[in-house]
Amino acid sequence: MPGRVVTVERRPRPRAMDSLGALAILRGLAVTSRHFFRNLWGFLRGRPTIFTINYPEEAQQFAPAFRGMPVLVEMPDGKERCVACGLCEWACPVDCITIYPAETHDEVERYPRVFDIDMSRCMFCGLCEESCPEEAIVMSDRVAIASTHWRGNVWHKQDLLVPVGDLEKRLGSIRRGYDTRASEPAVERESA
Amino acid sequence: MKDLVLSLIAEGGALAGVPFSLAAPLVMVAFGALVVFGFVLPIAGITSWLERRVWARIQSRIGPNRVGPQGFLQWLADGLKNLLKEDIIPSAADKWLFSLAPYLVVVGFIATFAAVPFTSSLIIADLNIGILYITAVTGIVVVGVLMAGWSSNNKWSLLGGIRSAAQIVSYEIPAGLSVFPIVLLTGTLSMQGIIRAQGWAPWDWFFFYNPFTFAAFFVFFVAALAEGNRTPFDIPEAESELVAGFCTEYSGMRYLLFFLEEWGNLYVIGAIVTTLFLGGWQVPAFTDNPMLLAVAQFGTFFLKAYFFVFVAMWVRATLPRVRVDQLMTVCWKYMVPIAIVNMLGTAAWMLFVPETLGRLVQFGMTGLGAVVVVVFFRRVRFHLRRANLKPSDYYYSPII
Repeated sequence: MPGRVVTVERRPRPRAMDSLGALAILRGLAVTSRHFFRNLWGFLRGRPTIFTINYPEEAQQFAPAFRGMPVLVEMPDGKERCVACGLCEWACPVDCITIYPAETHDEVERYPRVFDIDMSRCMFCGLCEESCPEEAIVMSDRVAIASTHWRGNVWHKQDLLVPVGDLEKRLGSIRRGYDTRASEPAVERESA
Repeated sequence: MKDLVLSLIAEGGALAGVPFSLAAPLVMVAFGALVVFGFVLPIAGITSWLERRVWARIQSRIGPNRVGPQGFLQWLADGLKNLLKEDIIPSAADKWLFSLAPYLVVVGFIATFAAVPFTSSLIIADLNIGILYITAVTGIVVVGVLMAGWSSNNKWSLLGGIRSAAQIVSYEIPAGLSVFPIVLLTGTLSMQGIIRAQGWAPWDWFFFYNPFTFAAFFVFFVAALAEGNRTPFDIPEAESELVAGFCTEYSGMRYLLFFLEEWGNLYVIGAIVTTLFLGGWQVPAFTDNPMLLAVAQFGTFFLKAYFFVFVAMWVRATLPRVRVDQLMTVCWKYMVPIAIVNMLGTAAWMLFVPETLGRLVQFGMTGLGAVVVVVFFRRVRFHLRRANLKPSDYYYSPII
């Protein structure tokens, strides 16, 4: 037999408190006062017992596995890690990424001259991140993508660049999850 | 009030040399205006803010917290918003009655403050029929509500108005009958006279005078809640059944006036209950300074009255709305008989119970009351302990 049989003990008949209206009212008042004093006490002690997050002032702490807005990793030298290979553009199911590659004289030979993501089309599937061989595009914990700017929801390269330090948690999560380059920290690879 | 006016004339200043017959109405009007604009309107507004915050705590929400520190100025913002809104009068409505109704409601509520005491000397008019006057002018509110319901030319509003009329007329009776035991004991209808008949100590309050006045307190408080259209007796404006009852068609400031009455009325209920049963402004004579004594009296009265405002919020957050037939059943089958028994019982108590036994009963009941309060706070502490406020138990921590 699947599952677990739980025998629930039920009272044979309602207690006097439940059947008498006036006492039931007192019981209800006791329940609400319990909540009131607990929440008030928590509020006065500065340890709120209320789950509400005051959004603009407080932000929810997302787990590293959370897939928010896709962003480009910015290296300490201020350049993007992206080499404009176009794999994410190819992998994207909704075609929201646009890349125009260009040449450099650096060790990294190519870079994206234009890297646009249309956030109104992005469905946060994370396939761009999964396909990226360079860990250059990651799903960050940023969720504020609404825009009042005239450009609409197309985010350009300069908007998308996020310093690598802010993305350590997500990068670690990717490495754990996909088990790629687990022994090779990002900064060392860049300096090698 | 008379002493205050006489002392003002004697001291000189603005009123020096003014005959008493002219000075008394002037001072009365000035004091009345001060009470209405400096006390009644802010207290109604602040009660609306506090009520929302208290509900929020009870329901584990945050409540209004944007305007001012902890949202304290929310009531001003609400008032301002409603003042600036368009005042719509439906084309099918009876224009004159529709416009008049909110003012009748507010007049009926503000007029009660003429006889609500603040300290032993501060009261706009210490009428010798004070409590009767308050019961009477509260009756104007039902006229306004019924008028609003009828003139809106809307079935929901009309149903709300009719319900309100039935409810207020019915509950006037147990409320009035619960006042009688106190009037029997004191032999006066004056608010100050009733307070002077009590003492500062709990065992001198009429609340603990005998079992009948004790029961009369509860009957009066429940009846007063019903008269004020408060949950669980808010069937006239039952949102889920009647949209908003008699105020469905109202908008802007006229709509707000109904709620001004509702929230301000809470304080009136608290003040009447405090006067009748809880010793009013009585404080021990700890000082000779009349100013200091007046402040202590005001604080005592205000805290006692506001405690009942809090109880009304607490009850509202706890109980669901009763049905119309349940409302009538509770009133006519239970509260009216209990109120009559209270009245007759108090009369018999005054005739047959010797004074020493009466004193013993007072002390015994006060002791029982103290035990109930202690048990209540022990329960609160027990639950606070058991809740064991670790942040990790309460903060939202997603699984990683």
